[in-house]
Amino acid sequence: MPAPYLVFKSVSKNFGALEVVSPSFDLEVKRREFVVFLGPSGSGKTTLMRMVGGLETPTKGQITIDGQPVEGPDRSRGMVFQSYSSFPWLTVAQNVAFGMKYRLDISPKKKKERLAHYLALVGLTDFANVYPNKVSGGMRQRIAIARTLAAGSEILLMDEPFGALDAQRREDLQLQLRLIQQQDAKTVIFVTHDVDEAVFLADRIIVFSKRPARMLEEIDVTALLGTERTLALRDSEAFFHLRTKILRLVRASAGADE
Amino acid sequence: MSERPSQGLSFRGALPRGRRLMIAVLASVAVLALWEVATRFGWMNALFFPPPSTTFATLVDMIEEKNLLYHAMVSTGRVWLAFGLSVVMAIPLGMAMSSFPAVGAALEPIVDFIRYLPVPALVPLSIIWFGVGEETKIFLLWLGTFFQLLLLVADDMRRVPQEYIEIAYTVGARPTQMLSDVAFRAMLPSLFDNLRVTLGWCWTYLIIAEIVAADSGLGFVIWAARRYMNTSEVMAGVVAIGLIGLFTDQALRVLHKFMFRYL
Repeated sequence: MPAPYLVFKSVSKNFGALEVVSPSFDLEVKRREFVVFLGPSGSGKTTLMRMVGGLETPTKGQITIDGQPVEGPDRSRGMVFQSYSSFPWLTVAQNVAFGMKYRLDISPKKKKERLAHYLALVGLTDFANVYPNKVSGGMRQRIAIARTLAAGSEILLMDEPFGALDAQRREDLQLQLRLIQQQDAKTVIFVTHDVDEAVFLADRIIVFSKRPARMLEEIDVTALLGTERTLALRDSEAFFHLRTKILRLVRASAGADE
Repeated sequence: MSERPSQGLSFRGALPRGRRLMIAVLASVAVLALWEVATRFGWMNALFFPPPSTTFATLVDMIEEKNLLYHAMVSTGRVWLAFGLSVVMAIPLGMAMSSFPAVGAALEPIVDFIRYLPVPALVPLSIIWFGVGEETKIFLLWLGTFFQLLLLVADDMRRVPQEYIEIAYTVGARPTQMLSDVAFRAMLPSLFDNLRVTLGWCWTYLIIAEIVAADSGLGFVIWAARRYMNTSEVMAGVVAIGLIGLFTDQALRVLHKFMFRYL
């Protein structure tokens, strides 16, 4: 059993009188684990993820990475947002390179190599010198992913990154993301309210209640579906059953206090 | 129906460039023609309202005989100097106003108060403070634009998406780097537009600034001509300001298109 990597220790959060995470949230995430926070919009799961990014601070409790408490944002923890995920005034390549802009530890030559590598990894080499307004929404999200990888992020924090894409692009990107995560051995916290997406991507799903966020259920997807995710898996019975089970769970929690 | 005849009058319809230019020119010509005809037929007294033909003849005459271009350059210099001063002060202060709530809370009431003061009302004070030289003129022009611009800059900064700021921080930018590399760049297109608009306002204060013991500038020219009821010279001076405005604005629009091709 490997030591826990990212730990939420009795974390709670409120904005003034508004309880966002309550009473307290505990979770241990392993290195290289793909964890999906699933729950209704505005449930507080995004706030939990943002606390890992150092963009919010817990009201109570602590988040640690390798035993070190999180204090403010750092390039080891990259964010991918649903919208405004890339800078319109930079070309695709410049956007990806922006991830390394403030890194003094790597030489310009090395930066160039890394840039080429990550552009190729997300399939944007041919679009390197184009501005983001000329590429599709899916490509814009790939820019953001490549930027966080170029920055050297160990943990990818993704806030409904594929929420604005059509079904076909979504599927493509999910497949690519899972592959990249496995190859590059990244730890991912991925926030979504799409059950299908959660099941397809996750090693583990944390199902959240409505606000204030509470963990309703923890589902070990890898134990049920394995680590390899293919399009064929989507049509399998195991996938379908798991999806149905979680959908019921989500529905029950939504109806519970209405 | 193969093609709709014109989209120019459909709500938010498309208008080809050529046609757009044509409409713009035709409308301007129509106004000038109406103005000309109105004085020719005696609907308006040409003495009070000199027709375009007289006005343009006077304009040419003033360029040749009365150093109008020199006066135009003096005025342009004053406007740009005062405006430059406003911009240099408003950008950092405006960004600070919406970046730090305490700065915003402190400045907002003061700015709102001054913003509504009529510039002419401050002419006497300005003379007492700065005398009757260049300083007063620059001060009055600055006064007319700085406080307006400040709030516009603060607004531009406020509209920079939080995501951009957080992207900067999560790739290791320091606050100053975030402000210069991301926030400023993100707000630049709308800032540029606001500068273009406020530069126009700066010109509208020119007369007020240049009637105070001035011996040069378009405001001085207009004010001097008024004294002798020389309406065609007044009109020509006004037209000169309008033309400078028209060309500046069009040039800045082109520059905007060129600078922000990524939009």
